[in-house]
Amino acid sequence: MLSFIKAESFKLSKKLKSWLGPLLVMVLVLIAFPLSIDISQYDLDKFYFSIIIVSLLMTAFVATEGMFEEDFEDGSLEQEFLKEKDFYKLVISKIFVYVCLIGIPIAFIGALFSFANGVAVDSFGKVFLLLILSNLLLFNLFAFGNALSINKGAMLGVLSSLPLALPVIILLGRAIRSIQYEDGFFAVTTLMVGIGLMVSAIMPLIISVALKTHID
Amino acid sequence: MLLLGWIWGLLFAPQDAVQGNSYRIIFLHVPSVIFAELIYFFMAVCALMHLVWRVKLAAYLIKSAAPIGAMITFIGLFSGSIWGIPTWGTWWQWDARITSTLILFIMYLGVLTLHGSFSNLEKADRLMSILVIIGVVNIPIIKKSVDWWSTLHQPASISVSGSSSIDPSMLYPLLISIIGLGFTLISLGILSSRSYILSREKNKKWVLMHV
Repeated sequence: MLSFIKAESFKLSKKLKSWLGPLLVMVLVLIAFPLSIDISQYDLDKFYFSIIIVSLLMTAFVATEGMFEEDFEDGSLEQEFLKEKDFYKLVISKIFVYVCLIGIPIAFIGALFSFANGVAVDSFGKVFLLLILSNLLLFNLFAFGNALSINKGAMLGVLSSLPLALPVIILLGRAIRSIQYEDGFFAVTTLMVGIGLMVSAIMPLIISVALKTHID
Repeated sequence: MLLLGWIWGLLFAPQDAVQGNSYRIIFLHVPSVIFAELIYFFMAVCALMHLVWRVKLAAYLIKSAAPIGAMITFIGLFSGSIWGIPTWGTWWQWDARITSTLILFIMYLGVLTLHGSFSNLEKADRLMSILVIIGVVNIPIIKKSVDWWSTLHQPASISVSGSSSIDPSMLYPLLISIIGLGFTLISLGILSSRSYILSREKNKKWVLMHV
């Protein structure tokens, strides 16, 4: 497993566009949106979280775009299949690396921007945690979308998996409200951790089956 | 049967005390959304059969049911939208029930698009089945959305286990409409799956013998 993680980290760190692109998209949206509309700071403080949530969705999509495409095209997936007969380890390592190298920095940027828009300093950790959990869920879902449409373009993948991401967005919205109104944060976070663990365990299995279908 | 339900509901059922005649759209709206969910559930069962037991016919049924499901979900959304104008004063509301039903509609389109994008149909069948199974998570969300969130959409008026909050003079034509639409959709499904099976198996010996 460690060797998979090492290999995937190395591969991702070499692909500058893959990890820097999503971070730049996140920063760009978070800066450009308030500038592009004439709005008071008071109004912005109220709904800035919505912008963060939508940015998160967009960046997760951009980050996972072509997650398996290169491996499929250069034959790595096929080799892996011949060696291991399964993609579970590969998928779980890939998602782990993507969450660590892209998801956590994105969550940090999101939390930083929320801090700059009226969120209390002591809530920074809560927002950061929620954004990491959301990224974990979104990366799993979009990885599934990409595995379905591995060589058919990202739009098909997003069309297939976006409806599944919307419940995550709804849950995140509720969690954010729990921070804003200081009520029920622990319950919502526990729910998200539970769902996150379940999705992280089950989704790689399903992605693995989808990838096998392409290789067969 | 569907016509009987509609004629009874539209012409002979009494007016609603609050909504007047506008409530009559339930005879189209309620059956449509019920079957929008049921068809997806049926597809999920077929998808499971296809993936676990490799039943080819199950995949054909999914492919045949998906356009019907998409159509009926669209009718449900559209009729709800028309009903929204006199009751809520708006065509659309980002309410949990309506949004989750819209997601179901997008799921149907996703399933169809995914299947259509592969030239290898066996591969397309399997990937479509995986997507259908994952998408079934949306069904309990639709069902429970009116309980989990404070929504503008009213909770269910008809209950299988408990008592219904709708008057029998309106309930009976509604039930007939639901059963009637069910039969209509089953007939449509049979016709659609028959032609799809024939098109998929057109080079097989048994088809050539029959045609």
